[in-house]
Amino acid sequence: MTLLANIFAIFRKELQSYFLSPLAYVVAGLFWLLSGIVFVYLLLSPNGIIQEVAIGEQSGIPMPPVDVAYIFLLRYLGIIGSLTSFVIPLLSMGLYAEERRNGTLELLATSPLTNWAVALGKLLGVLMFYITLLIPMLVLELVAFAAADPPVPPAVPLLAHLGLILLAAALLSLGMFLSSLTQSNIIAAILTFVLVLLLAIMDLVGRQLGQPFEGAIAHVSLIKHYENLVQGIFDSSSLWVFASYIFLGIFLTAQSIEILRFQRS
Amino acid sequence: MIEVEHLSKSYGPHPAIEDVFFTVEPGEILGFLGPNGAGKTTTMRILSGYLPASSGTARVAGYDVHTQSMAVRQRIGYLPENPPLYNDMTVLGYLHFVARIKGVTAGDRRKQVDLAIQQCSLETETQTLIGRLSKGFRQRVGLAQAIVHNPPVIILDEPTVGLDPRQIMEVRNLIKGLAGNHTIILSTHILPEVSMTCDRVAIINHGKIVATDAPDTLMEELIGRLGYAVEVGGMSQLLTQKLMAISGVREVQVEEIPDSAHTRLQITCHGEMEPGSAIANAIIKSGCQLHEMRRTRPTLEDVFLELTTEEEPLPTAEAAIDKTDADDPELIVDP
Repeated sequence: MTLLANIFAIFRKELQSYFLSPLAYVVAGLFWLLSGIVFVYLLLSPNGIIQEVAIGEQSGIPMPPVDVAYIFLLRYLGIIGSLTSFVIPLLSMGLYAEERRNGTLELLATSPLTNWAVALGKLLGVLMFYITLLIPMLVLELVAFAAADPPVPPAVPLLAHLGLILLAAALLSLGMFLSSLTQSNIIAAILTFVLVLLLAIMDLVGRQLGQPFEGAIAHVSLIKHYENLVQGIFDSSSLWVFASYIFLGIFLTAQSIEILRFQRS
Repeated sequence: MIEVEHLSKSYGPHPAIEDVFFTVEPGEILGFLGPNGAGKTTTMRILSGYLPASSGTARVAGYDVHTQSMAVRQRIGYLPENPPLYNDMTVLGYLHFVARIKGVTAGDRRKQVDLAIQQCSLETETQTLIGRLSKGFRQRVGLAQAIVHNPPVIILDEPTVGLDPRQIMEVRNLIKGLAGNHTIILSTHILPEVSMTCDRVAIINHGKIVATDAPDTLMEELIGRLGYAVEVGGMSQLLTQKLMAISGVREVQVEEIPDSAHTRLQITCHGEMEPGSAIANAIIKSGCQLHEMRRTRPTLEDVFLELTTEEEPLPTAEAAIDKTDADDPELIVDP
């Protein structure tokens, strides 16, 4: 009970601090702008999916029926996934680096809170802020999908967005750990960005290597599991992989804070 | 309430504190006095559970700070050297947050926060962002944070640093007001602060406790005790014995002056006795020449400096009186 109350207290404080931070608004604004542009471009531009289908139909060549909404979702969330990877380091960088620089870690570390509760509360806080970033995007999607004929079954976009949130949670969790290693926001952001790049490179290299490496890397690749969920392929192993990354990040954060206290000079 | 035994902490090969020991009784204010870098903050951090000790034990309210950290954390309020404040929160929001993570129940929270605000005179600033507060107010918010959950033990690391004299008085009065219901340990490098606020004082230097006593007793014992600095020619063992036989003389230290036939004597007396003339007589009668003699009485600052600049771990009266007060020469005989 107190554990939940503690986690909630940290969660609340963390979420509040994002809504009070000018940087968070800049990040949110850029995210909304870019995701909006991508949305419009994918849907309505001369190279957009609607034109593409229209041209296909006009050319008279017989084509298999296309599920426009589904293909749009695949492309759109693919790009949003990449965009998220750029945004995450900016959101997670301050989680612990800021506390270390301000000396407020000393308050948290001398309060009756476990490192785990603090880490989990912080992760939930930043994840909640990320989810609020998605809301305007969801509105756009609702408008688009409402116009789709035949109607889009809700399970597919739901699963896709669940994937997006899980991807963000996993990256935020690792970013939180990297943030606990330094007092500098910038260094934390760079480290996290490098990690995101490494994960992307690992995924790419895995696809080039062929079997058995491809399969092995696909098993642990966040990007691969994200793609699966976006495509509507639900496999409980995906959930386990995301959960493992999230757990790993929280675990490493808790350990890193413990070690920090032992080394402190 | 606080028991510290054989506490040591080293950062790599460099020991920050060594074999620190003291106890604080319930309701008492202990002043932890020492120059900067003496190991005050390290000791405070160990007590608060923030840092683990390298060896030794520290117990707060009967719980070991390391192995029963959570039980200790529930019972302490801690103001670190730099107040741990979130600049983007308001004073009120911050205190509510601290009350929450310290485990104050929802029903009591408002009352406790209001009380802390009132005790630290923060009523006018409750809605101000902490980042906009002056140094004095920041310190007071830090103090409010340490008492908001009404902890039995309060650990304050340099609570008055950076405050102006009026604020210092306020903070000292606040601390005194908290005593009785709370056990308080506060560190400082300001000597008068200890005698004004604390029931007892532990002096730490180079990581070691050099003295523990009530400030009045400590100062009286060290300051009130007179001594004489004497320079004689033709020193003999006999003279030392004769001097020791004089009523009121406590100890005689003999030090040869290099490249000279003279010897310097440090004579320490009991209490307020002034056996100056008897000493002079004894020296003359034993056939030695008296070159110089003056009364020594160390000031408060001298005691502190002496205790904290000497490498010797134990304070002895000689060490304290070694420092002479040259402005107060009683008798100078130069034949």
